[in-house]
Amino acid sequence: MSAPDLTPPLKTLDDPSESQSPLSVTVNGKNIKTFVADRLLLSDFLRDHLRLTALKVACGEGACGACTVVIDHEPARACTLLAVQADGAEIVTLEGLNAPEGLNHVQKIFQQQHALQCGYCTPGWLMTVYSMIERSIHPDSPEVAQYLSGHICRCTGYKNIWTAVRLALGADTQNSTSREE
Amino acid sequence: MTEKTLIPAAPPKSRRYVGEAVLRAEDRELLQGRGGFLADLAQPNAAEICVVRSTEPHALVRAIRKERALEVPGVIAILAADDLDFVDEKLPCVDMIPGTLDVRQRVIARDRVRYVGQAVAIVVAANRYVAEDAAALVEIEYESLPPVTDHMTAMDSGAPLLYPELGTNIVYQVTQQDGNAEFAARQGDLVIRKRFKFHRQTAVPLETRGVTAKLIENGERLHVESCTQLPQVLRAVLAGAFGLSLDSVRVTAPRLGGGFGCKEMVYPEEILVAAVARKLQRPVRWLEDRREHFSSATQAREETVDAEAVIAPDGTFIGLRVTGWANIGAAFGFVGNTPITAMGAMVRGPYRVPNLDARMHSVVTNKSPLNVLRGAGAPQAALVMERLLDEAARILNIDRAEIRRRNLIPPNELPLDRGRTGFANSYHIIYDEGDYPRCLEEALKLAEYEKFEVERNAAAAKGKLLGLGIAMYVEITAVGPYETARIALQPDGTVLLFSSIMPVGQGSETTQRQLVAEELGVALEQVAIRQGDTDEVPDAVGTFASRGAAIGGAVGRMAARELIQNILSCFAALLKCDPSIVKWKNGGVAIMGTMEDYIPLSEIPVRLRSLGGTPESKGIEARFRLDVPKPSYSYATHIALVEIDPETGVIKIPRYTVAHDCGKIVNPLLVEGQIVGGVVQGIGAVLREKLVYDSEGHLMTRAMMDYVLPGASDVPEDFRLWHMETPTSLNPFGMRGVGEGGTIGAHAAMANAVADALRDYDVPVDESGPFNPTWIMEALSRPLRAAALKMTEHD
Repeated sequence: MSAPDLTPPLKTLDDPSESQSPLSVTVNGKNIKTFVADRLLLSDFLRDHLRLTALKVACGEGACGACTVVIDHEPARACTLLAVQADGAEIVTLEGLNAPEGLNHVQKIFQQQHALQCGYCTPGWLMTVYSMIERSIHPDSPEVAQYLSGHICRCTGYKNIWTAVRLALGADTQNSTSREE
Repeated sequence: MTEKTLIPAAPPKSRRYVGEAVLRAEDRELLQGRGGFLADLAQPNAAEICVVRSTEPHALVRAIRKERALEVPGVIAILAADDLDFVDEKLPCVDMIPGTLDVRQRVIARDRVRYVGQAVAIVVAANRYVAEDAAALVEIEYESLPPVTDHMTAMDSGAPLLYPELGTNIVYQVTQQDGNAEFAARQGDLVIRKRFKFHRQTAVPLETRGVTAKLIENGERLHVESCTQLPQVLRAVLAGAFGLSLDSVRVTAPRLGGGFGCKEMVYPEEILVAAVARKLQRPVRWLEDRREHFSSATQAREETVDAEAVIAPDGTFIGLRVTGWANIGAAFGFVGNTPITAMGAMVRGPYRVPNLDARMHSVVTNKSPLNVLRGAGAPQAALVMERLLDEAARILNIDRAEIRRRNLIPPNELPLDRGRTGFANSYHIIYDEGDYPRCLEEALKLAEYEKFEVERNAAAAKGKLLGLGIAMYVEITAVGPYETARIALQPDGTVLLFSSIMPVGQGSETTQRQLVAEELGVALEQVAIRQGDTDEVPDAVGTFASRGAAIGGAVGRMAARELIQNILSCFAALLKCDPSIVKWKNGGVAIMGTMEDYIPLSEIPVRLRSLGGTPESKGIEARFRLDVPKPSYSYATHIALVEIDPETGVIKIPRYTVAHDCGKIVNPLLVEGQIVGGVVQGIGAVLREKLVYDSEGHLMTRAMMDYVLPGASDVPEDFRLWHMETPTSLNPFGMRGVGEGGTIGAHAAMANAVADALRDYDVPVDESGPFNPTWIMEALSRPLRAAALKMTEHD
């Protein structure tokens, strides 16, 4: 299957002097075969070419975590990888985790705990939490802090993110408030 | 025609939303990654812009050579000042007062650059990659001029002048006095003189800036979309810049990924991108990258303040003299003089201090322009006052809580006129209702102040230095001069609020819907909101100064009240009945007497149609303008507990307590979010963040790897919060602002806590730090104070 041709003419790096390579990746379960410019960033490939805009580019150097996607079961920074580096990989973005309707379990916890304000960093956090759940990280494990240290949130002060992440990892819910919308 | 039921439907129980911890509806889109931020919006035909920026702090521009850059395939145009026409190329600054020298920023450098990052030329290309390739090939020939980066040096005679024609680098001065400004110390009074230094910071919203521009409606109108807290202001500036009528400009703003004041600005790029779209007659887009953001978004906080306090032997402050100099960078920001003005006006906080003499100045230097950042001068004000209080308490041997009790304004003296400010719309600072002493006592109780010395000793036994810092402040919130809103009954029986308040993360979508639903007595789901479009709300003020919920929310609710009246009048007219028998009850129209009936909101459009009205063609709507002659004053007490590890210089925060009063609370969940988030921003400001320039004016911290922001491990381990809710009489619904307070209190509380932890060392702590491990280790290498030495000898 070839990539959906969502790339408008102005956005391609179609200069003949631009070195290109074939790229074959699986994104959210779909196989994509296409050609990309060698210097195209993975974040731009996902956002501009595939229009998967949940991941955000906020620092451009892997410092803030907003562009986090999961590549071959590892959380990774899409802004510091070239698209060609993902050749042969299986990529999951937030779009791949969204429930068909409404919010998924972790998203609901984030909403209930008011663990987001402007929401710009949120997709990145959700991808890391997804990885932590995949690896069955215990909510009381010191590893939790290590995972969270890879993300910057400028709004919440992290308090509610801590609570939400621990709940998502199966922490005792007795001490947290459940609220209705 | 729908038959009227003979038995009227029972009016439902009226829903109440104000004061409820309602979850945010906007979270659904944000959590699914469908927030619709500017960079997410597809712009299939837009060419991309890369701005060529000055690499020189201070220089004359001798030549701009575009030839090599133009050869790059995919480049569409390269434009500099000479290629662009403006009717007015100055960006606005709203806080200029008589005597202010005009250093408003130009949209693009003409012959001189004054800071690294200033826009010099624009590359328009097929995509950002090509645009950056070409930008690197634009050759700018500079003739370097001597730079000046330190504002205190910039005032010396013989210092390099940024604007030689002005003859000085001091461009703004304001004097604010109260009581007897000539006050002097009497025999026995304590006089404390200190110089406070505040370091330069920046807001770092996770979303950088961005602008798209295109011509719409057959090229007759200009549509600019921007990450701005001020869409209506931007529209007026665009119209002025190009000599267009207001109607021919539309500005929209999507949800913002954080603002914190750095998007309370009209930026050069917002005008430049529009100018390119007009010149090339094609849609264009500019997305700022983080490196650009560090040098080209506004910066904040840097100032120096000399303070002199005269204090009676009982600890009562008699007078305060402050002289302040803000380093405002190379040109005025939109509200670039506000921080230093607010610092002088608000330095006394909740304390009486009957005599004030504040003389504040703005000084230009070769750094990026300064503007507001969450707190806007109040963090500096609180830090100065609170450090002076602790210093007086230490010297006079008075308990730190007690010296505050002796100086606080009691509730029976409120409202209290604190004198005239120097703001452009010069008004008197008049503190409204409140109970500052109770706020202090609640915080002390919650923080378990009385057991602190036991905790300190326990920590000392483990080799840790524990410190406690108390800070109180009063902040200007909910400023005017006015705000507008519009609300419309929709054909499907819901209402739609058009609001000028921008969603920046504060939850304005939910709080405003709560207020409208409460007013109408309907379910929250029946109220929708649209924000950030000047075609929908042409005349408005914007989102800043903690005014979103208090002012934006109030005007939306007043519009809903007006909408009820319009609906009732419509029914009375169509039914040809006495208007007094048509009433609004429990979310619907109740008709009394022989025609007794109840029509819930959801059925109103249908019923109006059946009565011969045409709501879908005409629509029932209401507009409201709320004039706000006076701001209201929120206040709080913060108590920080810090633990310093003398081996590493690392600070932990075992406990942080806030007691605050922002008037009537619309949504306690969101208020708590604002306070916790604000406090952690304040903690980051004094423990981590610092913009560093070298002496030549080159910014060294140009990325998030260099500029250290607070992370998940910087959260206070135990956060305690106490809401007081004294409604203000200045707002129709008793609300004040709450968005900035957390940051204000945290600066002062943390500085006092650090000073307290280091009380045995000869460290003045007359600055904002940052108190990072390097700073702490340096402090711990200082000699012990005489008092501490004596104690050591006794041990």
